[in-house]
Amino acid sequence: MKQKIKTSVIGSYPIPIDTQQLMHNYFAGQEQSWTTYIEQAVHDMTSAGIDFVSDGQTRDPLVQLFTRKLTGCRVRGRTEIIGRVEYQGPITVPDQIYTKRLLPRHVGLIGILTGPYTLTRSSVDSFYHDEKELAFDFAKALRNEAKLLSKHVDCISIDEPFFSNQLPEYAHELLGVITNDLSRPTRLHVCGDVSVSIPRLVDMPVDILSHEFKAKPYLVDIFKEYSSKRKICAGAVQSDDSRVESIEEIVTHMKKVIDVFGRNLIQFAPDCGQRLLPREIAFRKLKNLVAAGEIINGG
Amino acid sequence: MYPTVLFGGLFFKGEPDFEDAKLHLFLTFDRSKQTGTPVIPDFFIRKVEYIEPIVSFIEKAVPKKHPFSIDIIEPSIKIETLELLAEKKLLSRTIYNSIHIGITKEEIQVLQDNTPDMAIVVAFNPKDKSPDGKIEVLENGAHLIDTGLLELVRRIGIKKILIDTAALAPGENSGAAIAAIPVMKEEYGLPTGCAIHNVVEKSRWLNDFPFAKKAVDVASNSAIPLFGGNYAIFGPLENAEMVIPLIAWQDILVSEYTENYFGVTPVASHPRRKLLQ
Repeated sequence: MKQKIKTSVIGSYPIPIDTQQLMHNYFAGQEQSWTTYIEQAVHDMTSAGIDFVSDGQTRDPLVQLFTRKLTGCRVRGRTEIIGRVEYQGPITVPDQIYTKRLLPRHVGLIGILTGPYTLTRSSVDSFYHDEKELAFDFAKALRNEAKLLSKHVDCISIDEPFFSNQLPEYAHELLGVITNDLSRPTRLHVCGDVSVSIPRLVDMPVDILSHEFKAKPYLVDIFKEYSSKRKICAGAVQSDDSRVESIEEIVTHMKKVIDVFGRNLIQFAPDCGQRLLPREIAFRKLKNLVAAGEIINGG
Repeated sequence: MYPTVLFGGLFFKGEPDFEDAKLHLFLTFDRSKQTGTPVIPDFFIRKVEYIEPIVSFIEKAVPKKHPFSIDIIEPSIKIETLELLAEKKLLSRTIYNSIHIGITKEEIQVLQDNTPDMAIVVAFNPKDKSPDGKIEVLENGAHLIDTGLLELVRRIGIKKILIDTAALAPGENSGAAIAAIPVMKEEYGLPTGCAIHNVVEKSRWLNDFPFAKKAVDVASNSAIPLFGGNYAIFGPLENAEMVIPLIAWQDILVSEYTENYFGVTPVASHPRRKLLQ
């Protein structure tokens, strides 16, 4: 029987935050709740028919989402490192538990971690003065979060956009700190132009590699040589362009990707998180992604 | 060294009682004159139909040249009130209470066209209630709005800024509003304070101690000058009779150690100069 290629998201989804309501709650002395934004994001993703959804990462941009809750980090304008980075308790886990409750049985949940190298390069380090040491302490903290997440999600995705700028010599060891012996499959998402890093990326200690194949279709050709080495999640709609790709256009792209990766192609997703798109556009892109996936899967 | 400034609220419940307000204003200004503790009336405007009568009352009942603040939640009421204050040439005495992450595009436009002299900027960050989170919302809007609140206020053209450290309920990092005062002062050098008495309002356990609750509500304000704050929003103006002497006493205490230790002398209007002859 032909294996079904699943549809997935990368992480963020654009839900406008009602700041007036937040202020009304503040003036009324009422507790602030974020669940409504998670519900809206999950509703859009499931309504579009996505197989593996996220919580939408509506709370914060990808860096602050983690550094805000780690010891040693101070978030003002940017994240500043002012002490040893340590895990002090669940970061995204409560939102994942809430999201899981919202999902029908057939829909899977992806827990997203912002990668340790991206957290390192996005922070102003006033404590370690040693990039590698800081990156490994971030990784150790994220390992704790990943272990907790494993109990609630179907897959853990590590988002490392900074790997496209520079893949440090210790990248393999760094990711291993998080992924070794995890009970759930892991995915490494690196958006941007990864063409020079592909030979090393395919050896990373993760189960699935995820890249921006729609905006950078030339990556498909560069990957040819390594296509049998890793499972792939392929970007099939752009996240940096508000033009909604037609179903036909997406199907053509998907076929090209399948030709190269064959059975190793297991997920189609947007190229990246959709945070910067208008909500209506993001939703239409997901719907067309799902419709194209159904054609590809022979539905 | 300047005395701590107090803001006392009028018409919090909604419908204005002008006779009662007149009496409280008279008593408050009298106590203020006696002690040297400045008090600014903070006018709540809850409904559109209250705008005109309350602004007319301000014109008549607040001494000329004395500042006042307007305390409004609904953006549409804020907009109409600003336009009326501009028409009556009262903007130079107006303290706009307040600017925060809930500001609308229309409100920004009307503020640019009718700019009050001073605004209170509420450093409330729903994502992070620590002093750092409060700074984040001033710096970049905590990614809830496009720009930091301080840049926004400067872009509007408001010259004088008061930072409100956003007091929250017990259990929600209420102490951060006080801890943030020296942090903000160090970071920006701007006048800083908050409505710390709101924390008392939200301390439900104090309902079992009704007599003490009032005392705690009044006393809570003394934490502000003790931590280097410049102003306290102390609740209903009717409490002024108790809050003014408390803050005057606290200011004298602070002034004595700051002069002895740092050599900072109080201005002529300071309670220490007025009350200790």
